[in-house]
Amino acid sequence: MKGITSILKDQFLDVILCIQETKDEFPTLWIQGNHIVDVLHFLKNEVDLPFKMLYDLTAIDEQARKFRNGQPESRFTVVYQLLSFERNAFLRLKVPLTSEEPSLPSVTSVWPAANWYEREVYDLFGVKFTGHPDLRRILMPQTWVGHPLQKCHPARATEMGSFQLPDSKQEREQEALQFKPEEWGLDKNLGGDELMFLNLGPQHPGTHGILRLVLQLDGEDIVNVVPDIGFHHRGAEKMGERQSWHTYIPYTDRVDYLGGVMNNFPYVMAVEKLGDIEIPDRAKVIRIMMSELFRISSHLVWYGTFAQDLGMMTPVFLMFNDREKALEVVEAICGARMHPNWFRIGGVAQDLPQGWEKLIQGFIDYFSNKLKEYDKMIMQNSIFKARTVGIGVYSTEEAIEWGITGPGLRATGFEWDFRKKQPYSGYEQFEFDVPTGKNGDCYDRALVRIEEMRQSLRIIDQCLRNMPEGLYKSDHRLTTPPRKERTMKDIETLIHHFVHTTWGLAIPHGEAFCGVEATKGHNGYYLIADNSTSSYRTRIRSPSFPHMQFVPEISKGYSIPDLMAILGSVDYVLADIDR
Amino acid sequence: MMKWWTSNATNPTEVIDGNSSFEETIQKNILFTNMESMVAWGRKNSIWPFNFGLSCCYVEMATSITSKYDIARFGAEVIRGTPREADMMVIAGTVFIKMAPVIRRLYEQMMAPRWVISMGACANSGGMYDIYSVVQGVDKFLPVDVYVPGCPPRPDAFLEAILLLRDQVGKETRPLSWTVGSQGIIKPNKVSMKDLQGPERLKMTEIRDPDKI
Repeated sequence: MKGITSILKDQFLDVILCIQETKDEFPTLWIQGNHIVDVLHFLKNEVDLPFKMLYDLTAIDEQARKFRNGQPESRFTVVYQLLSFERNAFLRLKVPLTSEEPSLPSVTSVWPAANWYEREVYDLFGVKFTGHPDLRRILMPQTWVGHPLQKCHPARATEMGSFQLPDSKQEREQEALQFKPEEWGLDKNLGGDELMFLNLGPQHPGTHGILRLVLQLDGEDIVNVVPDIGFHHRGAEKMGERQSWHTYIPYTDRVDYLGGVMNNFPYVMAVEKLGDIEIPDRAKVIRIMMSELFRISSHLVWYGTFAQDLGMMTPVFLMFNDREKALEVVEAICGARMHPNWFRIGGVAQDLPQGWEKLIQGFIDYFSNKLKEYDKMIMQNSIFKARTVGIGVYSTEEAIEWGITGPGLRATGFEWDFRKKQPYSGYEQFEFDVPTGKNGDCYDRALVRIEEMRQSLRIIDQCLRNMPEGLYKSDHRLTTPPRKERTMKDIETLIHHFVHTTWGLAIPHGEAFCGVEATKGHNGYYLIADNSTSSYRTRIRSPSFPHMQFVPEISKGYSIPDLMAILGSVDYVLADIDR
Repeated sequence: MMKWWTSNATNPTEVIDGNSSFEETIQKNILFTNMESMVAWGRKNSIWPFNFGLSCCYVEMATSITSKYDIARFGAEVIRGTPREADMMVIAGTVFIKMAPVIRRLYEQMMAPRWVISMGACANSGGMYDIYSVVQGVDKFLPVDVYVPGCPPRPDAFLEAILLLRDQVGKETRPLSWTVGSQGIIKPNKVSMKDLQGPERLKMTEIRDPDKI
């Protein structure tokens, strides 16, 4: 098979500016901006074994970067990351923009899913996309001045003056939040009938967090849904540019706040790639065990609240009880419940406590039969079926088109799990099945998640029975300070110990992406190191962002109660959308 | 002191002393108090929380409603979906600059008497998030009655906040009508749990060994 780089060289030789080497070994090509649409069109539609998914689209502000190693001159770099399922490979394209007021052709004509990503880049970097259908701010308030991810924008709230909310500002902000159909590109009429608009959120019990949806209704039928996001934007990416490599880990916990240590996973692996850090087997298996425990705990919250969204009161109480059992184990091992901050670059924070086997075994014994009980109560319940079967249907092609990963993709019948396809941390050594659905409706998405909990339990059981002996953290010089005893013997070690514990490690310059099959879908961290104690750019590609963008597509034609079922079945977390 | 014939939870068939006399019946049924204390007693024992959450902390707040923690023990399980029916708003999570006007609007829609619990480090002070999109503490634009530390606080910690708020609400004096008595609301002074529990905490000399479960 011919590599994608040589295919592109044959086809677009004049357009390729440079081929960059990266630590993640993804083919990375610099492309001239005015040809980006053609190149992407070719990669999606014409090439053999095409790149069907626009996995990510983001940007880098290059103005303060020191080590660029022969990359083309650029002020802002727009990065496109594509995924080919046939090739089982990622591809990264970069476009340099040299202007202080950069603009670039929009690729929404090739991938409609680029819409929100381009709006995000516009909002946070100020890069304009010509030909974009609706280039408004997406995360920051419409009244915001400046573009936060530019290096010149202040990072801290305390640098920006004390926050005040006088009446005049309150009125102005409320006015900016007013819904005006024309500004949002919505018609007030459809075939002579006047349409109704319903504002849902940002405070609404059915949206599972501060999310706003504007529904365009023809009677009970949904004509369109317009999500308004950004109420939960916590600046997690900018935070990465200021925290040291290690002290950023707690911030990852809070991205998908139901996923706990699962969020640490892609981040620490990306850093390990950048620093060429090998980690011991015991740490790998501990990571897998805790992540799978969190997968169960996250899915339990989803299961209970999903049933509640559809009017069932009891399940949520039962499932939160089960979640407590899982969290008791987490707490005993990590010392915290929701945000354990427990993975470290090079391993985990601490070895497993004495008696952990009993705890894990206790949970497995407790939980094994619970799911069967819930099947009877929920999945076989006729009302539940009536509310979910045939609702929110989409096909594998649509899912790929819109960047859907995780259970939402597998429910369409496409067996794609990154733990199997691109194994990390030793997943290839575990026996587990990848559950799939058939119809891609709300019911199948539920089925897939429930089966995933069973498989996670299988993985945890294998971890329990095959936990390797050895170190829980690598002895690599970047991850672990020199042993304390030795610091008292020679000055060199003392200095290294001091620097390590005060400034933290400095990761050598380079770029790496690493993703994991997280609870909601594929969660990836794209890190750029610049020989410094903190990251130059941290990009969090969270699964919920594209999933939320897809909600309008799968809600059209259904009624409002169906929308609640669809939102529940998508299983998103607001912090994972807005970051 | 009123004498209640409540049964024991662990022994519902327990024999209770008494003779069903007229005197006893009166003791059980008649209470002398003043109107203010009576209303405050009612208020403190049925605080209706607003179903409102911002981020991670809300998950722990919701957990406090479920069986293991059971907020109903303190009379605060009547979760309302609309601010107009709620007494208490829990700022559970990060206060975002984009969300602040909405939070204020929701607070203003609550009818007095109303109380605010600030739950978690973000709502208290911005916490870990000293970042451009986050308000450094909800008390920048809302009055707060109880602060709960933690990131996120455990459900138990949230329940303690409910207990503290109950105490405060019980001691608050409010005008009974717009014509009778003084018109201002007199709130008890806020207590610092650090001062209150500090001496007891300082007595702790053994810290759990992290290598044991």
